Amino acid sequence: MIEIQDLSKKFNGKTVLTGLNFQIKEGEIFGYLGPNGAGKTTTMRIILGLLRPSSGKAMVFGGDLESNDELRSKVGILLENDGLYDGLSAYENLYYYARLYNVSNIEEKINNLLDFAGLTQRKSDKVGTFSKGMKRKLGLSRAMIHDPDVLFLDEPSSGLDPEAQRMVRDLILHLAKEKRTIFLNSHDLDEVQKICSKIAILNKGTIQAYDKVENLRNKFSNPVFEITLNDAVNAKNAFDLLQSLDYVSDCKPDGFRITATLKEENYSKILNELVSNGIKVEEAKKLAKSLEDVYLDVVKEESS
Amino acid sequence: MTLSKIFIVAKKEMIEIIKTKSQMLVGLFFALWFSVMSAPVVKTVDEAAVFDTFNNLMFYFVLMMGIFMAYMFSGKVFFNEKREGNIETLLCTPLSLRQIWFGKVVGVSIVAYLIALLSAALITIIANIFSTSMLLPLPAIFVHIFLVVPAFIAVAVGLLGFGHLLLGMRENQILNISFFIVIFFAFSLPKNVIGGGFAVSWIEVGVLLMVAVLLLVFVSYLTRYLSKERIVTTIA
Repeated sequence: MIEIQDLSKKFNGKTVLTGLNFQIKEGEIFGYLGPNGAGKTTTMRIILGLLRPSSGKAMVFGGDLESNDELRSKVGILLENDGLYDGLSAYENLYYYARLYNVSNIEEKINNLLDFAGLTQRKSDKVGTFSKGMKRKLGLSRAMIHDPDVLFLDEPSSGLDPEAQRMVRDLILHLAKEKRTIFLNSHDLDEVQKICSKIAILNKGTIQAYDKVENLRNKFSNPVFEITLNDAVNAKNAFDLLQSLDYVSDCKPDGFRITATLKEENYSKILNELVSNGIKVEEAKKLAKSLEDVYLDVVKEESS
Repeated sequence: MTLSKIFIVAKKEMIEIIKTKSQMLVGLFFALWFSVMSAPVVKTVDEAAVFDTFNNLMFYFVLMMGIFMAYMFSGKVFFNEKREGNIETLLCTPLSLRQIWFGKVVGVSIVAYLIALLSAALITIIANIFSTSMLLPLPAIFVHIFLVVPAFIAVAVGLLGFGHLLLGMRENQILNISFFIVIFFAFSLPKNVIGGGFAVSWIEVGVLLMVAVLLLVFVSYLTRYLSKERIVTTIA
């Protein structure tokens, strides 16, 4: 569906992307993460045919979007800019794009999308009078006006209230169920964690991590262990002991609770250590590693 | 299919220009203002020169008005679209870059031409109010208004659109200011063009028509130098 092979890009001799490789299959929701300036937008622009790669290939449906008008009609996009005209009404904006994409049943399609965006009552109002969230929802409707097989979404939830964010997430999941492919460029790690089947983390122009979310959690993030002690003395002793252990990389006290980051996954060993030193542990649990932990580990690792 | 896509873009540009009330009002104000300020000149010349003066006025002012409107609307249609970033979304639709450029040129040219026609009508009405004899344009002036003026408007829109898409934001501001200075200077010339015993004939109209056609071919050729990458990398 989307195939990136050894993709590199230079601007005026400065390398911004180096040897990117990844594949996105039909029906996948692909999360593309990275700090500001990592090259996410540049990658997206190359795939969309807005920029030419310095070397390598970016193919969608086996072809190049820059030169193939037919392929572009199968792709929907929502970039940082909503792609809407402030001087036109919500209806006119959707109508314009519907005509450009040669959509049939235009009226029905537009009405359904306006309904989805909750803008039916304001369909005749100029988009310039809309809030950022309303524009984002209308922009998303615009991107879907021609039932695209692939959707490129750049921060789709930006500017939306929690309810609308939930709606967008549900929509993306629904589209994936219909075998549509989603390329999601986002900073919202929680959103990505909830909906993406596969992610890539880009930093300084190279892909640092590329796998399923679950696999990356296991691969990149150090195991975290939380213990709760019954009193202050026990908590202090436990904290001192944990700090002295060479397989504990970080240790944070919080009242009677201590969070320890381990260099390797060895929870039983740490429990045995505590018990054998006469420390009474009330509760011990592994903490679920979030995508944020993975992301920060990957980005930090590269920076250091 | 190609033509229909061009007309979809053109129609949208026309609607957007017309719906931008402030811009339309400025356009209509200039058409009225220049007509009111220029047409009464027929009252100040000798009886024998009235007819030539009127035709010279139509020859020059309608053309200039059309080019001025082309300048005004091109900024909105090309420059703003690029500055606001909508052009990226448009470039991802199934339209080619040339279709987008051409559609915008057609849309802007039609509105600019309609205002130029309005100024021609206003000049004729006002000149007749100040004249003792009935004043109507010569056949050559009719050809000028119906062929040369729209062709030059299209050239101006095409060139400005090309410049807006090709250049960066700062260069575009310089382009806009330069173009405005040229137009402003051109509007201050009419005394030399309209008076002075000069009379527009088929020769001037024919030469201008040929120049317009050549320029249209040239501008169309220039679009080969536009690329999506060039446009996208000059947005910021």
